[in-house]
Amino acid sequence: MGRITLDQVTKSFGEVNVIPPLDLTIEDGEFVVFVGPSGCGKSTLLRLIAGLEDVSSGQIRIDGEDATDKRPADRGLAMVFQSYALYPHMSVRKNIAFPMKMAGVPEDEQKRRIDGAAAALNLTDYLDRRPGQLSGGQRQRVAIGRAIVREPQAFLFDEPLSNLDAALRVGMRLEISELHKRLATTMIYVTHDQVEAMTMADKIVVLRAGYIEQVGTPLELYRTPRNRFVAGFIGSPRMNFIEGETAAAKGAFAVGVRPEHIAASTESGTWQGKVGVAEHLGSDTFLHVHDTGLADVLTVRVDGELPVRHGDRIFLTPEEDKIHRFDAEGHRL
Amino acid sequence: MATQHSRAAARLMISPAVLLLLGWMLIPLAMTIYFSFLRYNLLMPGMEEFTGWTNYRFFLTDPAFKAALINTLLLVGGVLLITSVGGVLLALLLDQPFWGQGVVRIMVIAPFFVMPTVSALVWKNMFMNPVNGLFGHFAQSLGLAPFDFLSQAPLASIIGIVSWQWLPFATLILLTALQSLDQEQLEAAEMDGAGPLSRFFYIMLPHLARAITVVILIQTIFLLSIFAEIFVTTSGGPGTASTNLTFLIFLETPAALRRGHGLGRGRGRDHPGQHRRDLPDADDRQEPGRVRMTRGAANRPQIRSARADRTGAPPAAAHASGGRIWRKMKVGEE
Amino acid sequence: MARAVTNRRKAVTTLAAWLIGIAIFFPILWIIVLSFKTEGEAIKAPLEVLGSPWTLESYATVQERSNYLLHFTNSVIISVGSTVLGLIIAIPAAWAMAFVPGRRTKDVLMWMLSTKMLPPVGVLVPIYLIFRDFGLLDTRFGLTVVLTLINLPIIIWMLYTYFREIPGEILEAARMDGASLRNEILYVLTPMAVPGIASTLLLNIILAWNEAFWTLNLTAAKAAPLTAFIASYSSPEGLFYAKLSAASTMAIAPILVMGWFSQKQLVRGLTFGAVK
Repeated sequence: MGRITLDQVTKSFGEVNVIPPLDLTIEDGEFVVFVGPSGCGKSTLLRLIAGLEDVSSGQIRIDGEDATDKRPADRGLAMVFQSYALYPHMSVRKNIAFPMKMAGVPEDEQKRRIDGAAAALNLTDYLDRRPGQLSGGQRQRVAIGRAIVREPQAFLFDEPLSNLDAALRVGMRLEISELHKRLATTMIYVTHDQVEAMTMADKIVVLRAGYIEQVGTPLELYRTPRNRFVAGFIGSPRMNFIEGETAAAKGAFAVGVRPEHIAASTESGTWQGKVGVAEHLGSDTFLHVHDTGLADVLTVRVDGELPVRHGDRIFLTPEEDKIHRFDAEGHRL
Repeated sequence: MATQHSRAAARLMISPAVLLLLGWMLIPLAMTIYFSFLRYNLLMPGMEEFTGWTNYRFFLTDPAFKAALINTLLLVGGVLLITSVGGVLLALLLDQPFWGQGVVRIMVIAPFFVMPTVSALVWKNMFMNPVNGLFGHFAQSLGLAPFDFLSQAPLASIIGIVSWQWLPFATLILLTALQSLDQEQLEAAEMDGAGPLSRFFYIMLPHLARAITVVILIQTIFLLSIFAEIFVTTSGGPGTASTNLTFLIFLETPAALRRGHGLGRGRGRDHPGQHRRDLPDADDRQEPGRVRMTRGAANRPQIRSARADRTGAPPAAAHASGGRIWRKMKVGEE
Repeated sequence: MARAVTNRRKAVTTLAAWLIGIAIFFPILWIIVLSFKTEGEAIKAPLEVLGSPWTLESYATVQERSNYLLHFTNSVIISVGSTVLGLIIAIPAAWAMAFVPGRRTKDVLMWMLSTKMLPPVGVLVPIYLIFRDFGLLDTRFGLTVVLTLINLPIIIWMLYTYFREIPGEILEAARMDGASLRNEILYVLTPMAVPGIASTLLLNIILAWNEAFWTLNLTAAKAAPLTAFIASYSSPEGLFYAKLSAASTMAIAPILVMGWFSQKQLVRGLTFGAVK
């Protein structure tokens, strides 16, 4: 079915090496998320798999078969684009039918699949509208519908939620996860948003400058980040890093503590500092603590009800067993 | 977006256009350059001889060449200046709210649709003709002597006609560009204390820069090869006063060729070896039609009748003989 | 500007705009007026002209004297034919430049435009010779081919600026959906670019309709379009203003009417990508 293997794949644009030699295996039915900051090569990687770009060297195998030189259409993959890429001059029905029309699927079969997809995606009432008459979320669903009807070996998503507003994004996130559970088809999902990565993925691939920094389940990455980059990238708010004496005392160049692993108190603790901005979310409050002598600022997650004000003195205590230690190169110790 | 498949496809897709244009450019150009080194005589095939740079020397030292070069620059520059400045002003005016915008827009765009031969004929006869033209009537009603535009100020008159044709183009592009300007920018500038003039120079004009560039580029392409307007009005005269490069080369083209394919209206070098300015007789021939038409052709003796030979053979008949009566392309012989 | 404009200011603007509009339009208006007058009336002072009786006489004479319908047909065939032919060549080329840009794409485009900078007269003799040898002189086909080549750079440029506004992702989606290149261009690109293609078509029909170098130089009678038809009225046979006006009106009316109806698309096309 949809097992995708990248074997020593590289990509360069002229002199610029975007993807250094890279190996990766995506198992059938997995939900894999490529995550990383912009320019890390995650979209390029997806486009290489899609066949929209040629690899400079290396091999891409889909379901054991060499697909390196196959045209995009012949790879049996479906893609959902960031801009949805709907055909503006076609109705929703025709948009969804287009890949089947190209593949020469018989009319009645086309109709059956369109109706099925429309029902699953709540699009039945909109089939005769043009994309321009739909909301962002509906367009997104049309794009997904167009992908589903092809019954592909794998779905590729290129930052599909980044054009939606926050509330809709959460909803669509759930829908896509739901879809994955139901279809059990391989999905490769590119995003720069680590929250999407954490909530949706079976397996996360963290990329930086074309290199794979770490591959693992969301919790593996959260608990045992392999280096400072992954540690800083996964988790929100960001992990605090402390260098200098405090780190040296623990035999490391730098130590990292997540905001949720620091206890705050107005009376006593290991570290102390002055409260800067306090972001009240209701359930939690994120405190930005200055003048600790450890780092410019430490972020701490405290209970939403803790009564602190700007300028208050505060004491902090890290959970010793949740401290991450890194060497000078940033590797985990 | 670029795989080997798509790049190969792209090369394939662009090649017909490139090959056609390359052929269109190179083949005639090569032939022209080849001829330019020859003393070429179609009446006596096989008699071509290589003349080196003679033709070039002749052409470049011809005083008409310098005049035509200057005229070309004046024509292109003058029209560009009038249409871009006029276009900006007109666009600023039409961008204001007023009643009947649609109708005015339609009126302003109209000259762009008029073919050059028509506009040149209309301006020449109905407006600039000193006797029957509207300007003439107007001058007379004021008790002034009518001004013969095309003989007194031929180049300026042609610049005027061509500007009339191209002003709509400039205006519409600039108006569209102006309408695309973000109003918030203007409002921000106003909040910052910029008066109307400052807003124009610091906000609007920079915004229009790209559109003005396009206006200048497109118009230059078309203005460099202005032909019909001169052909129909002054035929380049008086003397070389309104001959641009295009028209000069046209004049140097063998007359038989031009007459041969129905274009015999042009004044050409019917007599090999004799430059047209050496031919006062032929040039000053007046045709009956013109005399009657202007009722005073005598007052514009310098305008040589460009159409002296037109009334001769009708175009279609002349066409048959076109290839055969190819005379001499002996620009170099004097 | 979201702001009340005083009626006084609006009235002043209206007056100025209408005066200038009428001034620009006046020559066209005037030939239409003259075309309905007799030759004797047409040369009188303007006020007398307006007061004189109206007649269709000149139109009848023009139709009698020269075969308007033939020249009109020639104009239509040549301008539409060359534009359509140009589009067929230009659409794939513009696709390639807009969606598979290379390092030299801009240079190729500029080179194409530069072929238009060559004064056509410089190649008149060779083209004439080639046409003579291939029997293309005074044929609609020959003229159509020349005008196609003349306008091809402009067509490509206009289409290129339109195509660039179409997101490449949509074409990639089509490719992922299994569309061949032909289907991609036929079913996705072309329908999406209809407004752009339409305004390119319109502008180039106008340019071809009004082209007055090659049409004058390569035709005699059979294939002569309206530009040449009008040029034949530059030979005065007595008082001729009314006939010239009637002929002029007939020559420009079709394109004027077409231009007015398609004004919106045309103006957008005219901007050559200068306005986003």
